Amino acid sequence: MISVIKTRKIWFVLSGGLVALSIILSLIWGLDLGIDFTGGSLMEISFKNESPKIDEITKIINEAGFDQNSSVQPIGEKGFIIRTKDLTEDDHQKILGKFNESYKDNFQEERFDSIGPNIGEELKQKTYKAVFFGIIGIIVYIAWAFRKVSKPVSSWKYGIIAALVLFHDVIITVGFFSVFGKFYKMEVNAPFIAALLTILGYSVNDTIVIFDRIRENVMRYYEGNLGPIIDKSVNETMVRSINTTFTVILTLLAILIFGGSTIRDFALALIIGITVGSYSSIFLASPLLLVAEKINFGNKTKKVR
Amino acid sequence: MTSQKNKIRLFFYGILVLIVLSAIFDFPSYYNQFASSVKSKLKIPLPEITGKPFLLGLDLQGGTHLVYEADVTALPESQRGDAVEGVKDVLDRRVNAFGVSEPVIQSSRSGDRWNVIVELAGVRDVNQAIQMIGETPQLDFRIQATSTVPSLTDEEKKELLDFNESAKKLADSALNKALAKNANFDDLAKELSQEPGAVDTLGKLGFQKKGIFVPEFEKACFDDITIGEIKKELTETAFGYHIIKKLEEKGEGDAREVNCQHILIRTKNESDIHPVQEWIPTQLSGEHLKRTQVIFDPNSGTPQVSLEFNEEGQEIFKNLTTENVGRIIGIFLDGNLISAPRVNEPILAGNAVISGSFGVQEAKLLSQRLNAGALKVPIKLVSQQTIGPTLGKASIEKSVNAAILGLIIVCIFMVLFYRIPGIIADISLLTYGFILLALFKIIPVTLTLAGISGFILSIGMAVDANILVFERFKEELRRKKSIDVALDEAFRRAWPSIRDGNYSTILTCVILMWFSTSVVKGFAITLIIGILVSIFTAMFVTKVFLKIIIKKGSDKWLWMYGINKKKI
Repeated sequence: MISVIKTRKIWFVLSGGLVALSIILSLIWGLDLGIDFTGGSLMEISFKNESPKIDEITKIINEAGFDQNSSVQPIGEKGFIIRTKDLTEDDHQKILGKFNESYKDNFQEERFDSIGPNIGEELKQKTYKAVFFGIIGIIVYIAWAFRKVSKPVSSWKYGIIAALVLFHDVIITVGFFSVFGKFYKMEVNAPFIAALLTILGYSVNDTIVIFDRIRENVMRYYEGNLGPIIDKSVNETMVRSINTTFTVILTLLAILIFGGSTIRDFALALIIGITVGSYSSIFLASPLLLVAEKINFGNKTKKVR
Repeated sequence: MTSQKNKIRLFFYGILVLIVLSAIFDFPSYYNQFASSVKSKLKIPLPEITGKPFLLGLDLQGGTHLVYEADVTALPESQRGDAVEGVKDVLDRRVNAFGVSEPVIQSSRSGDRWNVIVELAGVRDVNQAIQMIGETPQLDFRIQATSTVPSLTDEEKKELLDFNESAKKLADSALNKALAKNANFDDLAKELSQEPGAVDTLGKLGFQKKGIFVPEFEKACFDDITIGEIKKELTETAFGYHIIKKLEEKGEGDAREVNCQHILIRTKNESDIHPVQEWIPTQLSGEHLKRTQVIFDPNSGTPQVSLEFNEEGQEIFKNLTTENVGRIIGIFLDGNLISAPRVNEPILAGNAVISGSFGVQEAKLLSQRLNAGALKVPIKLVSQQTIGPTLGKASIEKSVNAAILGLIIVCIFMVLFYRIPGIIADISLLTYGFILLALFKIIPVTLTLAGISGFILSIGMAVDANILVFERFKEELRRKKSIDVALDEAFRRAWPSIRDGNYSTILTCVILMWFSTSVVKGFAITLIIGILVSIFTAMFVTKVFLKIIIKKGSDKWLWMYGINKKKI
C-alpha cells in the first residue's frame, strides 16, 4: 500500500523541478527544428544513362555530412529529389562536387530551389488556438461530469488539476527533446507534433480514470478526511494504471529498438511522454486534489471566524 | 433467461462474421490465395475479391510530384513570399479536406520564380487533383490609382450612347425575328442571345418563383404574357434588352412559379466603360475569405455574392475602405474585373458585395468556387512527375515488423496476466485492428510510417478499457459475488471511467479538428475513430465473448481468470 499523500512533498518537488527545468531549457536551447518547420533546400538531379540505386545517393549525401533529416526519393525514371536543411552555396557545391566525382558525365543537376516549411504559420497558429480551447473544453467537461462530487473539492478543481497535469506532461517531454536536440542533434518534425498530441490525449485519459475512482470512493466513504480516500483510490487503480502503461510502452519499445530510424524519434517522444503521463496521474494529480481541498478548507475556517 | 442467452449468441456470431469480413476486406490478397488453393484442392468455388489497396503515404509508396508556378509579377517584392504561403495554405485545404491525405505541400523558390510543390501519395486520381487545384479561383482586390472620382468623358458618354443605340437596333430586329410566323425561338436564342451560356441553355431559365428576377423582367414574365406567348415589346433591364417567352406556369399565389425563356441583347452601363486605369494591388485577397453566399439586392432584386472576411481580412478591409472613401475598389476574379463598387463610407463590419451582371446560377457557382478556397495570385501547372517513396524498402519492412512484434508482446502479456479474459481481450484487440484498418481503407486514410506506428500504439491503448473492466472484475470476485454477477458489475462500474476518460480526449480532438488543418486535423480524426472503435470492441465484443464463456458454474475455475485464491 503506497501512500502518495504522505510522500507528496517528494513528488511536488520532483515535478516542479522538472517543469521549471524544462521551461528554462526550452527557452534557452529551444528544439532542434527539422525541415518540416524550417524549410530547406531541394535539389533535383538526373542521370543520362544508368541511374544508381537510391541507397548510393543517400550514402553520398551522408558522407557529405548532411544525413540529419535529409530525404531522397526517386523521381521519374532516372532522377532523384533530395531535400536537406538550408544549404549555403558552399555546401551546395560540396555536394555537387561529390556527385560529379562519382558519376562524372552521367550526372546532371536539374534544379536547386529553396523550399518553405511544411508546417506553416497558419497551421501553427491554428494549433495553438485549438490546444488552448481544447484544454478549456476538458476543464468544462470534467467540471460537468464530476458535478456530483462537489464536496470536499469542487468539480472545477478536478478539471483544473487535469489541465495542469497535462501541461506538466507535455512540457517535460518538450524539455527532454530540448536536451536531445542540443546534445544529440535529434530533430523534431511533424510526427513530433503528433506524438505531443497523443501524449495530451493519453494523459487526460489516464488522469480521469484515477479521478473517477476517487470520485466513487468520495461519494461512498467521505467522512471529512480526503487523504486516505485518495490513497485508497490510487492503490485500487494502481495495477490497472501500470498494466496499461506497460502494454503501451512495450509496443513502443519494440518500435524503438527494431524500427527504422525515421520513427525511432517518434517512439522515443511517446515513451517519455506516456511514462511521465502515467507518473503524473498517480503521483501528482491525486495529491494535488488534497492541496485543492486544503485551499478550500483554509478559506472556510477563516470565514467561520 | 433463454432469450437473453439467445441474444448473446446472436451477437457472438454477428461479431465472428464481422471479424472475418473485415479481415478479408483488409487483406484480400491473402484471402485470394487461400480461396484459390481451396478451389484447386477441394474443388469448392470460393469467390475471389478484387480488393481496394491501402492508401500508403508518400514515404511508403511515393506518388505524384506537381509543381505550380505562382505568378507574383503583380506584387511588390516584399509581399511575394507571403502570397505564395497563402497559396500553399489554400491548396492544402483543397487537397487535404479531411486532413488525412498526408500530402506534401511546400513553397519553393529559385531566384525570381516562386513555385508551390504539391506531392500526392499514390498515383490514383491525379487528374482529379489537378482539376481541383486548377479550379481554384483567384480573387484579389485592387484599388484605383487615380485619386479623383472618374466620371465619363464626353467621348465615353457618346461611346456608351452609340453602343446602346446599336444594341437597341439589334434587339428590335431580334424581336421582329422572334415574332415572325415560323420563328423558332430556341434557334434564335442560340444564335442571337448574348447571355453567357445561352448556346447551351437556349435562354431557358427554369421554374422560378417571384423575387428571383429583376422587377421589369418579373413583371413581363409573370403578368404580361400567357403560356406560349412572346412579349411583343422589348423588356429593358439593367442587363439590356430582353425578348421574353413564357413556356410554362404552375402553382398559385405565393407558390406560383413560371418557366421563361429569353433572348438577351446586352447594353452597357457606366461601370462597363472604364478609362484605362492603373490598379494598385492591395493586401486583401481570396485567402481572407471566410465565407461567401448568394444574396439579393433589396432594391433591384439582382443576385449578388456577399463576401465575409476572416479576422485579418476584416481588419484590412476596414482600413482599405476608411482610407479610400470615394474611390473604386476593383474585385478581380481570375484576373478579370468582375465588380467595381465605389466606397461610399468606411465599412467596419467586414462584408463586401460583388454585384455584377450575373444571374442566380452564376452567382451560386461563383459563391461555391470561392467558398472552397480562393487564391491571391494565379497559378500554373509547370511540371508533373512520378516520385518514389522516401523510405527504402528495408526500412519499411523493419519498422512494420517491429510494430507487429510489439503487438504480439502485448497479446502475450495480456494472456499471462489475465489468462482467459486476456485471451478474450486479445481477440477483442484483433477485432479492433481489423475494423480500424477496414475504416482506413474505406475513408481512405493515408498511412505513413508514423501513421502505422500510431495505429499500433492505439492498439496498445485500446487494451486499457479491457484492463479497466478486468481489474474491476477481479475486485467484484474478491467481494464474493458470483461470477456472472461480477462480470455484469465489472462492465457497469468500469464504464464511467472509460466514458469520461475517452470523452475528454474526444472533446480535445473535436476542437483540434475544428480549428486546425492538415496534419493536426488528420491526427484528430484518426484518433477519434480509433477511440470510438476501441470503446465498441471493449464494451461490446469483450462483453459478448466473456458472457458466452462464463456461466454460473465457472466459479470453480477462478484461477483461470487470474485470481489468486490467496488474495481473496
